[in-house]
Amino acid sequence: MAQVEFTAIEKTILTIGILTTLGSFIYEIWRRLRVVFKGKQSLPFDRFGARLWRVFREVFLHEKVIRDRFWPGFMHALVFWGFIVFGLVTIEHFALGFGYELMSPKTHKLYSYIVIPFSIFVLIGIGSLTYRRFISRPKALGKISLTSGFVALFISILMITYLLGETNLSPNVWRANWWIHSLIILAFLFLIPRSKHLHLVLAPVNIFFKPFELPDHTPVNIDLEGSEDELDSMLADLTQMTKNQTLDVFSCVECGRCIDVCPANRGGGLLDPKNHFILDLREPLLEKGNVDVLSDINVEAGWECTTCQACTEVCPVGNHVEKSDEIRRLEVLVEGKVPQEYQKLFMNLQESGNTEGRSDSPLAERLPTYTPDKEYVLWLGCFARYELDPNFTKSVENFANILDVAGITYGVLDNEHCSGDPANRLGDKLTYNMLREHNMEQLAHASKVVTLCPHCALNLEKEYAKYSEVNYDVTHHTQVIGQLIEEGRIEVRKGSNGKVTYHDPCNLSRMLDEVDAPRTAITATTDEFFELEESGRNTLCCGAGGGLWWKKETTGRTHLVRAEQVVNSNADTVVTGCNFCYGMMNQGLKPLTPEGRSEIQVKDVADIVSENLVSNSHTK
Amino acid sequence: MKIAVLVKQVPGSESPLPLNSDQSWLDGNGISYVMNECDNYAIEEALQIKERNGDGEVVVISLGPERVQKVIREGLAKGADRAIHVQIDSDALADPLIIASLLTEAIRGENFDLIFSGLQSDDLGMGQTGIIVGELLGMSTASLGMATELSDGKIKVKRELEAGFFQWVSMSLPASITIQSGLNTPRYPSLKGIMGAKKKEINVLTPNLENVKQSAKKVYVPQSDKQTVMIEGSVDQVVDKLVETFRNEIKVV
Amino acid sequence: MDILIVIEDNNTKVHRMGLECITAAQQMAKESGLSIAALVMGSNADGLASQVKNYDINEVLTLKHDLLISYSCDGYAEAVKQVIEQESPKYVLFGHTYQVRDYVPKISAKLMKPFLVDSVSMKSDGEQTIFTKQMFNAKLYSDMIATDEGPLLISFQSAAYSSDNAVSGSASVRDVSVNLEPSMIKTESEEPFQEESGGVDLTSAEIIVSVGRGIGKEENIPMAEDLAKTIGGELASSRPVVDSGWLSATHQIGSSGQSVSPKMYLALGISGAIQHVVGMKGSKNIVAINKDPEAPIFEIADYGVVADVLEILPKLTEALK
Repeated sequence: MAQVEFTAIEKTILTIGILTTLGSFIYEIWRRLRVVFKGKQSLPFDRFGARLWRVFREVFLHEKVIRDRFWPGFMHALVFWGFIVFGLVTIEHFALGFGYELMSPKTHKLYSYIVIPFSIFVLIGIGSLTYRRFISRPKALGKISLTSGFVALFISILMITYLLGETNLSPNVWRANWWIHSLIILAFLFLIPRSKHLHLVLAPVNIFFKPFELPDHTPVNIDLEGSEDELDSMLADLTQMTKNQTLDVFSCVECGRCIDVCPANRGGGLLDPKNHFILDLREPLLEKGNVDVLSDINVEAGWECTTCQACTEVCPVGNHVEKSDEIRRLEVLVEGKVPQEYQKLFMNLQESGNTEGRSDSPLAERLPTYTPDKEYVLWLGCFARYELDPNFTKSVENFANILDVAGITYGVLDNEHCSGDPANRLGDKLTYNMLREHNMEQLAHASKVVTLCPHCALNLEKEYAKYSEVNYDVTHHTQVIGQLIEEGRIEVRKGSNGKVTYHDPCNLSRMLDEVDAPRTAITATTDEFFELEESGRNTLCCGAGGGLWWKKETTGRTHLVRAEQVVNSNADTVVTGCNFCYGMMNQGLKPLTPEGRSEIQVKDVADIVSENLVSNSHTK
Repeated sequence: MKIAVLVKQVPGSESPLPLNSDQSWLDGNGISYVMNECDNYAIEEALQIKERNGDGEVVVISLGPERVQKVIREGLAKGADRAIHVQIDSDALADPLIIASLLTEAIRGENFDLIFSGLQSDDLGMGQTGIIVGELLGMSTASLGMATELSDGKIKVKRELEAGFFQWVSMSLPASITIQSGLNTPRYPSLKGIMGAKKKEINVLTPNLENVKQSAKKVYVPQSDKQTVMIEGSVDQVVDKLVETFRNEIKVV
Repeated sequence: MDILIVIEDNNTKVHRMGLECITAAQQMAKESGLSIAALVMGSNADGLASQVKNYDINEVLTLKHDLLISYSCDGYAEAVKQVIEQESPKYVLFGHTYQVRDYVPKISAKLMKPFLVDSVSMKSDGEQTIFTKQMFNAKLYSDMIATDEGPLLISFQSAAYSSDNAVSGSASVRDVSVNLEPSMIKTESEEPFQEESGGVDLTSAEIIVSVGRGIGKEENIPMAEDLAKTIGGELASSRPVVDSGWLSATHQIGSSGQSVSPKMYLALGISGAIQHVVGMKGSKNIVAINKDPEAPIFEIADYGVVADVLEILPKLTEALK
C-alpha cells in the first residue's frame, strides 16, 4: 500500500538502479545468446505444439523436477510457483516507486490472500533446499556455492520484506522495507545471468528446443573422394558446438542429477557429466566468444561414457548432456589417439565387417536365409552371430521358435555386417559409414527388420536415417513378442521362475522408447513380477554400452553397479531384452552373489516366453 | 634422419586359415589380412623419433603380393612419408634369408640411419628378417627392443632378456633394431592421414625370386590328442602325483 | 664333424637347452651314424667343457677370446661363423633362446645359409630331414625343409627334446681359435637388471598359477601367491576374482584381460568359462584343480584333479619347497 511518497531523488536513484541492473542483465544474456547464435545448425521449431506442451509439463507442472527427486523437487516447485505468483507483485512494487498504484487497495488485499500463503511456501521451500545444500551436502551438488548462498538469502529477504510490507508499518520503516526489497531484486537481476540462475530465463526456452531424438548428435559425412579443403572444413566443423548444445551450457542449473544417474560415475570412474560435458565448456565459450570448444572436453572422462543417455533423460532444464560422441570423434578422426583395444576393434570392423574379425557364424548357418518373400529380415548383430556370450545363442533360437509357432516367416542376411554401433559410439565415423553403406545395400529389398539387439535396432532405424533415407521398418524382438501375445497369436502360460524382474536396456527403454512390450511378454509368463529400482526410462545402464564391452581394463565398477542392484533385489530370475545386458548380467551376477544364495537366472525375454509357450514345438 | 620400417601383412588372429589343395600352404582366398602386430609398434617408434627430431623421413617397406599395399597405406596414413613395395607374387615364401636379401637390395642405395622391424611375424614367426637386413648392410643390430634412446650418431636399445631381465645396449648408427610390442602406444591413422596417404609415393619393385633355401613342405592342423589325465587319490597322493607331473612330465620344477 | 651343437652359458652351468640339443643330436646321429661336437665359448669355456664332455658325443670344442668374455651379437656371430667355416658341420644346433635369436640370424646372413628356427620336432621322410615349426600362433604346424646342402642352422624350441634323455659318455676336448678385431664389435652392453614390476606382464611368464572363485575368499589369495613364488611362477586370476576386488585387473586373464601361453598353467578353482579359456587355451600344459567334475576347464586341461583347491594348495606348496 502506498503510504509513502517517494522523493525525486529516490525516483532518480530507482531509475538509475533499474536501468543499470536491467542493462547489465540484458547485456549478459545477450553476450551468451550471441555465442549461441554462432552455433551450428538451427534451433528446431518443428512439432511446435508438442514442444509447447512439453514446456507446460516440465516447467509449469515441474513434472520431471518433482518425479525424479521428489522432496527437493517439490520444494523447488514451491519456490518456482511462488516466483510466478510474485511476478505481478514485483511489477506493482516498482510501480509504487514511481508513484503509480496498479491495483486498488481492495484488489491488492484480495491478491495478497494468494501471495501470502505462497510466500510462506517459498520460505519453506527455500529453507529446506538451503538445509539440503549447505548442511546435508549431497555429493552431486559439489562444492559449496557462494552464489547459491546469496540466492537463498535474497529469496528469503524478499519473502520477509513482502510479508512485512503487508503489515502495518510506520512510514519510515515501510520505506526502508520497500528499499530493501527493491535493492535485493536489483541485486538479483545483476546476479541471475552471471550464475546458474540464468536457468530462470533459459530453461523454458531450452526445454522448448530440446531435441526429440535421443541421442542427438550431428552425423559426420565423410567424402573420401573430396578435396583437401572440403576435408579441412569438415574437420574444423567437428570442434564446433550446435546452437542447441551451446544453449544447454548456459541453461545448466548445476543440480547434479546427471551425476547421480551416470553409471560410470556410480562405478567410481572419473566421468562427471555435469562438469565434463557441460560446465567445463562454459568459460571457454565466454572467453573465446565462439562455439569452437568441443576439444576442451576431458578426453579420459569421455572414453568412460557408456552413452546410455541417463544424464540427458534426467536433466530438468532440457540439456542433452552426453557429449562422448563429440570428443571421441575428435580423438579418432583428428588426433588418431585411440585406446589400443578399440584400434583392434576398428580394424576388425574394417577388415571383416564384424567386431571379432571372424568370418564364420554357425548360428547364421542354422537359421533360414532371407528371401524377399519372407516377412522379416532377422537381423542378428555381431554379439549373437559370433557368440560373444555363447548362452545367448539359444535366446536367438528361442525367438526363432516363437516366430515359427506364430507362423511368421523370416530369414537372416548372409552378408550382414556389423550395424556399426561400436564404431558410431566410439567416434570412428569413417568405419561407421563404410558399414552403414554396406548394410543399406544388403537391406535394399527389405521392408521389415526385426532384431534382438537394441543397439542394432537403434542404428538401423534412427542413426542410419540421419545420413540417408531408410526404406525399411525396424522392430525390436520384444515388440514383436509383445504384439503376438496381445493379439493372441501365441499363447503363453504362467510358469515358475521364482521372483522375476526385468532390467530395461538403456537403448531400448530410453532411446527406442519401449518399456511396455517386454513387460507384456514377461507378465504373461509369471505372477511374481516386480520392478527393479531405477526401471523403465530411468533404467541404470548395465555398463556395456558405448563400446565399453570391448574395453579391457575397467577402471572402477561401471560394469557391476547394475548387477549389484539385481542381486540386492533378491530376484530369482532377471530378464532382459538386450544381448549386451544379458552378457553383463552373466558376468556380473556370479561374483556378487553371496555364498549360500542360489544363482540368479539370467534370461532374455525370448527365453522366458519360449519356455512357457503353449505349443507343440520343442522349447529350449 | 632417414628411418626405414619393414612391415609385413599377415592373417588376422581370428582369420580362418584354409589350406590349399595340396596342403603345401594356405589358400589366400578367405583370409582376412592385417598389419603384423609388432610392426605397429615399430612404425610408431619411427614416427616418434622423426617428430622429436623435428625433421627426417620415415619410409615404409613391405615385401609380398599386391595386397600388401594395404598395410603400406596404413603406414603412410599414420605418418610415414613414402613407401617401397617389393612385389613378390608368392604367398608361400617362408625363407627369411631370401626375404631379407630382396629387401636389402631394394634399400641398399637409400643409406638409412635406422631400420626398425617387428621382432617376429604372427604368421611364420621366424624373427630374423630385420637382423639379416642389418647384417647384410653392415649395420649394428639388436633384437627385442623394448625402448630406444637416440643421441648423436648413436642409439641405445633396452633389450628384453629372459626371466624378467633387461639390458641396455649402445651402438653407432646405422643400426637395425627389431621391436617388441608394448614399447609405445601406436597411433590410429587420423582422417587427414588416411586421405593424405593416397597421394604419397609407393615405389613398386619387381625382383626375381630365386635361391630359396628353406620352404614349407606341408602345413597342417596339429592333432591334439588331448586326453585329460585325471589324477586321483587322497589329498597326499594327489599332491605327490602333481609334484611328479610338474617335475618329470611338464618339466617346470 | 657332422653336427655342431652351440652350448649357451647359463651362469657357468650348461644351459638346459644345450643338453636338449645334445639329445636331439644323439637321435639324429643314431639314425644316420653322424659325428657330434659341442662348442663352448666365453669366459667359462673350460668350466662348461668339463660338464659337456660327460655326454656321449665325439668332441667338445673350447673357444676362448678376449672379445668373447661377455656376450655381444657381433662377437658371437663372427666367432661361431668362423668355427663353422673351420669345422664344416652339416647341421649347427642351437636352443631357441633370446640370445640365439639375437645373433644367429647374423650368422645366417654372413654364410648365406638358412636358419630353421624354433623347431618342435625333427623327422626324416626318407629323402630329407624335416624340421617342424609352429606357425600362425601355433594354430598350424609346418614341415620345413632346407634346399641347401648346408651347413644348416637349426634351433630347437624349449623342451622339444628332453635333457634327461641325453646319453652320458665321454668326449675329447679340443681348443679352437678365431680371429676377432675390436672393430668388429659394434655394440656396448651394460649390466642386465630387473625392473620394479608395476604391472604384471603375464605374457612372458613360463609358469602361471591362476585362481578362480574356487579360492573362496580374499584371505586365501596369499596361499596361491605362496605357491606361485615357490614354483617360480606368476599369480593370475579369472575375472570374477578381479571383480570381487581380491586382485587387481593386471592379474586378469581372459577375453577382457591378458592372453597367455605359458609352459604350465595351473588353474585353481577356475570353472573354465569361455571368456577365461580364450585367454589361456594356448598354454602348453594345463593343470586344473576344481571340485566340480563337470567343470568345463577339464575339457581343455592336460591334467585334472577333482578336489577342493583349499585342501590341495597348502600341501602342494609344502611338497615343492
